[in-house]
Amino acid sequence: MLTIASLGVSYEGLRALVDVSLEVGAGEFVTIVGPNGAGKTTLLKAISGTVPSETGRITYLAQDLGARRPSERAALGIAHVPEGRRVFPSLTVMENLELGSYRRAARAGRKGALDEVLALFPILRERHRQLAGSLSGGEQQMLALGRGLMAQPDLLLLDEPSQGLGPRIVEQIFETIDRIRRERRLTILLVEQRVVEALELCDRGYVLETGRVVLAGRREALLADARVQRAYLGA
Amino acid sequence: MALAELVQYVATGLLVGGVYALMSIGLALIFGVMRVVNFAQGDFMMLGMYLTYFYAISGSVDPLLGALLTIPPFFVLGWIVHRGLLARVTGGGDPQRQMDAQLILTLGLSLVITNATTMILTPTPLGIRTGYATQAFALGPVLLNQARSYAFAMALVLAAAVYVFLTRTDLGKALRASADDPEAASYQGIDVRAMHGLAFGIGIALVAAAGGLLATYYPIEPTVAGNFIVLMFVAVVLGGLGSIPGAFVGGLVIGLVQSLTLLVLPFQLQNTGVFIVFLLVLYFRPQGLFGRRARTV
Repeated sequence: MLTIASLGVSYEGLRALVDVSLEVGAGEFVTIVGPNGAGKTTLLKAISGTVPSETGRITYLAQDLGARRPSERAALGIAHVPEGRRVFPSLTVMENLELGSYRRAARAGRKGALDEVLALFPILRERHRQLAGSLSGGEQQMLALGRGLMAQPDLLLLDEPSQGLGPRIVEQIFETIDRIRRERRLTILLVEQRVVEALELCDRGYVLETGRVVLAGRREALLADARVQRAYLGA
Repeated sequence: MALAELVQYVATGLLVGGVYALMSIGLALIFGVMRVVNFAQGDFMMLGMYLTYFYAISGSVDPLLGALLTIPPFFVLGWIVHRGLLARVTGGGDPQRQMDAQLILTLGLSLVITNATTMILTPTPLGIRTGYATQAFALGPVLLNQARSYAFAMALVLAAAVYVFLTRTDLGKALRASADDPEAASYQGIDVRAMHGLAFGIGIALVAAAGGLLATYYPIEPTVAGNFIVLMFVAVVLGGLGSIPGAFVGGLVIGLVQSLTLLVLPFQLQNTGVFIVFLLVLYFRPQGLFGRRARTV
């Protein structure tokens, strides 16, 4: 579904990604883990088009994304739930959700998607008239996720959904992601610093360090890998 | 001072303030969505006055209708100015350098429009004659000039239409989202560059329409922008930078303060009160009357 071939990105003069190649098949749940500053967020932004790629090729559903603007990529069914949640603070919770299905292909299914999202996150129903900026961090993350789901995407990009949240909320968010994935067979590319949780959820994973893919494999293989255990699992 | 006199000044101030409010909404929308300070806003207002004048002269179109008819051409003009000029210095790149380029661009645009208009249309002030400009509605002892009353009502209707557009339509919500967070907006499939064009088009169309309404009671000349651009900026800052409801209230307050200043100061000093209130607000509430910390439309 998504193929990235030897992608190179420079960001503010630094080489953020070097020769990164990866693949996400339809219906797959792929995780990219790695330390802070490894280039994980840059990778997702390159897929969405908010960071320009210098070399390499990003292909989505047999189309080269290279020349497409970010809004066009979203219109193709790529929903990006960005790092730091980035809800629209001066809009209400409901307006945030409505804008999730702004892309033309999602408008017809807006009502159904809204019912599903509100069933998934009942707190958003309670808060639907509140300004998104007044929500707590956990609620904003649910809103950001809900907004992403409103797009009824084919590919969901999740950037650090656990960032800055308490353990109980993190658990809830991961559970929800797992549920969405099982119920809808949605294709997901997740970027996480919480290596254990992320690897346990996924089908396959990549380890990104200083802009390069240093390791790739299926969940069991990665969890069992000595280097991963040493570096991330504290074994 | 008699109470009736005070009420008279308040009413006059609010009537004028309604038109200021409409002008300021346009400026606030452009700033809120694009982060561009448009120094040429007053000049587009002036062009709107002239277009309304030509509608009246060549087609004997009533200026109240003429003001409405300035909206489509000025929307297109705004869109073109954005595409051809502003889009080169917005959206990406070093913010500080972009800001400099934007200021020079809109200031330059203002100079070019003022001087080209002076060359082509001569500096002689023009006026539109209407039956109602010299009539007044009498509410007891209070007299409301008819031209100003109609202009006020139309300004209110247009401002309400903008509000409904921004809060009830997908496109309006997308505009506000682009003001809040352009990057996150693009992740929803919102074409932020198109939103900038839309915001500039609407902002220019609103100020042109406000100019048309103003032309029912105010002389039209190429340099008229100077008398209003400062008031618009004060209204926008007063209301909280970029806030549409704030700019609306800011415009009303300025009309009111201008009018009430005349109770104590001569006509030539009517803007003194405006600036005193402005300084007080900046001192006690620097985020503006409606300002929140977050950028909003």
